[in-house]
Amino acid sequence: MSIEIRDLHKAFGSKEVLRGFSATARDGETLVILGGSGSGKSVTLKHVVGLLDPDRGEVLVDGDRVDSLGQAELYALRRKVGYVFQFAALFDSLTVAENVGMGLQRMKEYTPADRERRVEECLDLVDLEGFGSRMPAELSGGQRKRAGIARAIATEPDYLLYDEPTTGLDPLTRAVIDRLINRMKEELRVTGIVITHDMESAFRVADRFAMIHEGRQQFEGSPEEIRETRDPVVRAFIEGRPELIEEVG
Amino acid sequence: MIWRAGAALKEVDVWLGLTLRQMTKIGVDSVPIALFIAMFTGIVLALQASYTFTGAIPLYFVGVLVGKTMMLELGPVLTGLALAGRVGANISAELGTMKVTEQIDALETMAYPPVAYLVVPRILAGIIMFPIVTALAIGMGIGAGWLTALQLLDMSTYEFMHGLTLFFLPFDVFFAMIKATSFGFMVTSIGCFYGFQTRGGAEGVGRSTTQAVVISSMVILVLDAFWAVTLL
Amino acid sequence: MKESRDALVGVVIVAALLLIGFGTLWLQGVSLTGERVDIEAVFERVGQIQPGSDVKLRGVRIGRVRSVEVEPDGELVRLVLRIDGEVTLPEGAVVVLSPESMFGDWQAEIQPPGVYPAQRFSQPREEGTLPGYSLPDISELTAAADDISENLGILTERVGIAFSDETARNIASLIENVEEVTERLSELVSQQATSFTDVTDEVTRATRSIGQAAEDARISFGRIDDLLAREELGETLDDLAVVSANLRELSGEFRETNTEVRQMAARMDTTFASLSRITSELEAGEGTLGRLLQDPTMAAELESTVIELNLLLADIRENPRRYLRLSIF
Ligand SMILES: Nc1ncnc2c1ncn2[C@@H]1O[C@H](COP(=O)(O)OP(=O)(O)OP(=O)(O)O)[C@@H](O)[C@H]1O
Ligand SMILES: [Mg+2]
Repeated sequence: MSIEIRDLHKAFGSKEVLRGFSATARDGETLVILGGSGSGKSVTLKHVVGLLDPDRGEVLVDGDRVDSLGQAELYALRRKVGYVFQFAALFDSLTVAENVGMGLQRMKEYTPADRERRVEECLDLVDLEGFGSRMPAELSGGQRKRAGIARAIATEPDYLLYDEPTTGLDPLTRAVIDRLINRMKEELRVTGIVITHDMESAFRVADRFAMIHEGRQQFEGSPEEIRETRDPVVRAFIEGRPELIEEVG
Repeated sequence: MIWRAGAALKEVDVWLGLTLRQMTKIGVDSVPIALFIAMFTGIVLALQASYTFTGAIPLYFVGVLVGKTMMLELGPVLTGLALAGRVGANISAELGTMKVTEQIDALETMAYPPVAYLVVPRILAGIIMFPIVTALAIGMGIGAGWLTALQLLDMSTYEFMHGLTLFFLPFDVFFAMIKATSFGFMVTSIGCFYGFQTRGGAEGVGRSTTQAVVISSMVILVLDAFWAVTLL
Repeated sequence: MKESRDALVGVVIVAALLLIGFGTLWLQGVSLTGERVDIEAVFERVGQIQPGSDVKLRGVRIGRVRSVEVEPDGELVRLVLRIDGEVTLPEGAVVVLSPESMFGDWQAEIQPPGVYPAQRFSQPREEGTLPGYSLPDISELTAAADDISENLGILTERVGIAFSDETARNIASLIENVEEVTERLSELVSQQATSFTDVTDEVTRATRSIGQAAEDARISFGRIDDLLAREELGETLDDLAVVSANLRELSGEFRETNTEVRQMAARMDTTFASLSRITSELEAGEGTLGRLLQDPTMAAELESTVIELNLLLADIRENPRRYLRLSIF
């Protein structure tokens, strides 16, 4: 149950976003992908569930090439994946509870009552109890993000992809979310990929790190390795010191 | 996309409930505007008919004209155009927004085929509700024409009804419904198409909405001529 | 909230379906209340009647034409009329098809027998089916009249040539006399007298003087009558008398502007038909023609018939609205 990204290339028109990025999220581990804004982190994540097809290279989920899956297999895979969108992407014609329950609706093992209970539970986990009947438009940005997380974890997926789950949240809620990410991993043995700019939470959740720079892998390794790396690009990024790159350049 | 919609038809569990919701949005909510348009069309038809006929043609021909015109042309076409604005714009704006805010991607990741979930219910609702709304509009137009004839033209109910029934053929109703169904199909399909095509934020949504309305209005007029050539 | 919106969809759909269903049925004239019965009638031809056309009894709409079908043998057209079951039809009723206006809408009128000459009706072969007759269009009528007047013109010419001696002189003066009257008449008509009644009065007076002239002629040639005892000839003369009477009546009817023009048209049709028959008999039967040429009464009657007819036709053609005002405008 691993996610392997191998030599991923993707261009939009003449704009080459990914130029051979590789990274691996091992079974039951959380991979944190770092990278500057616009470096292609969200694009990478979309390849994992087949929202985008690679120009070159491949993404293997549990050994299967995502871009060669048939429609039915792809949907079967997607059912095992929870995806937290960067901007939540809640369905704004549905209530928060309906959003969260949407994945459950297609699972035969959930009766309507079970579903309701599970939705409540997930909203609780992200500190949104009592918000079920609200419309997404009536939520703040942070609340929306949390509702998006609740929606992703509701189906108890095998894989969870978080695109900046803690951006825009207060420190306390960030800690709650980080704990939730770890809990999902420990209790459900979820294989996860987390995109984040927030180094504090990155170190709280990461089993491994990977970094995109100019479309390629700049770094891959454990939290200890990244702390000790001499790579100025990585250091500049995690310490927030752009002058380090300039010194090298 | 239409082909994909056809293929998505087999996912009954996905679209069935949604279709009802779209039928409300596309159909029921459009009834007031359609009736409003039809009412004034009926009144104007009756007045203009009597104005044109002065003396030379018996007044009951007002009934013929109102009935025939409402059924064959203005009922379906004006309703179609009004709904192209209302429904076409609504669909492409809604789907366009969903597209640019990644809601359609979200649907994909939740293993809901967006076509079955978003397109099929809208097209089905269009096919079902356009004729329904058109029928009500035709009824309204004829009713308004009749009241006008009664109140402003000094015609009797008998005269008007006589004209109405004079050249009536059940085919007229069939023709109106065929038109309305095809308009419903085209307006919703075009709305969905441009919605899915949307790129680039609010501006993109505005652009695809405009395009959806313009194209579906044109398609309605072309289809109108097409049916007139093939069926009449 | 959501429940009630869903219910609204149902309400709207049901309302529209009811509207379509009942509206269509109603516009087709299918009545949903009250007893309806079907009656049938047969016709030689049916003009422009079609399913949905009104069925009337004494001017009141009592139903609709349900179907129009040619009989399997191709001889007659059978109409099924669906009418109000509570209406009692007149004894021996007949069905007359006629234009309701000039715009192509026709109606079927159920009539008591005797309003129209009986011989024009298609007789059904079985009990229960009503005899029917379709009125000719005004255009058909004038076309037929053209034929007749042409035939008659040729004939009178021949009459004029064939006669000699005293008879001829008498007839010549008669014709002169008639011509004078004719001139006066056409003058009057062409002057477009303000009141229609005045014109018809003049026509009637003129007709009467033609009649008088004919009477004079009859007296002066009374002795020739003896020669005309042959049965064949007598029959034809009888016919001609009927025709003249019809025509005279016709001109009289113009005065009453309220007269059913349709009825008049029917009578004209009959008149033309018999005229046409007579003229063709005259043309065909050589022996008969010889004898007819010796009959001054016949000549006079023919002459006056021709004149009246021509005047009438000219006037109808020039001022159709005068004759058709009631039914069309
Ligand atoms: N659908 C698309 N069409 C065209 N260009 C795209 C598309 N999606 C992404 N891009 C471009 O690809 C680049 C990478 O985008 P991406 O969203 O992956 O950035 P990111 O690493 O997630 O940045 P951030 O941290 O700000 O979210 C951007 O320059 C963006 O403009
Ligand atoms: Mg991003």
